[in-house]
Amino acid sequence: MTHFTALVLFSLLVSVAFATLSSEHHTTQEKVKYGAKVFGYFVGVGFLIAWALYRLPI
Amino acid sequence: MYSEELSGDIAAPRPVPMARTITATAATFIVPGLGHALLGKVARGAIIGGVIIVMFALGFAMEGHLYKPDPNEWLTWFFSFLNAGMGLPYLVCVLADWGVQITPGQAAKVTFEYGNTFLCVAGALNMLAAMDAYDIGIGRKS
Repeated sequence: MTHFTALVLFSLLVSVAFATLSSEHHTTQEKVKYGAKVFGYFVGVGFLIAWALYRLPI
Repeated sequence: MYSEELSGDIAAPRPVPMARTITATAATFIVPGLGHALLGKVARGAIIGGVIIVMFALGFAMEGHLYKPDPNEWLTWFFSFLNAGMGLPYLVCVLADWGVQITPGQAAKVTFEYGNTFLCVAGALNMLAAMDAYDIGIGRKS
């Protein structure tokens, strides 16, 4: 398993859980939209952090 | 939201008896998602329970391990608290010594820390699921 696969799996599972448990999104459509947004944030921020760490001379 | 409830667009949540609410909350710590099913939210319970069980299984598949509180290492108390959120599965694993000990080969795996994270987050999500079941039971959520 690669780092990216682990990141995607983690993001997918947590975003599904967050969308299901959300109290502010009532309809299925709202929940799917919110879940997709959370998934995108997880993967996007993961990429940003990875890029920042790659640039650091450590 | 409240104006929608008053106009009848969204049905206001109805509380269930306290004994059933407590049973449902406790049931979440026996099998993830069971509490929601007991409150009639079968689909919600299946999704949240499925996600938590898959995360827990993936944690072990990635060679992660469960934490036990160690008085000499205070951080283990925090991770143990997160792991313990799984409830009965965590207790069974700790009592049977399944997935608690770490071998040097296991710790050297690339996925070792991912596995630990998956196991901790599965427990944290189960605690959220238990709170969600409680909120549904008392009528705070629908």
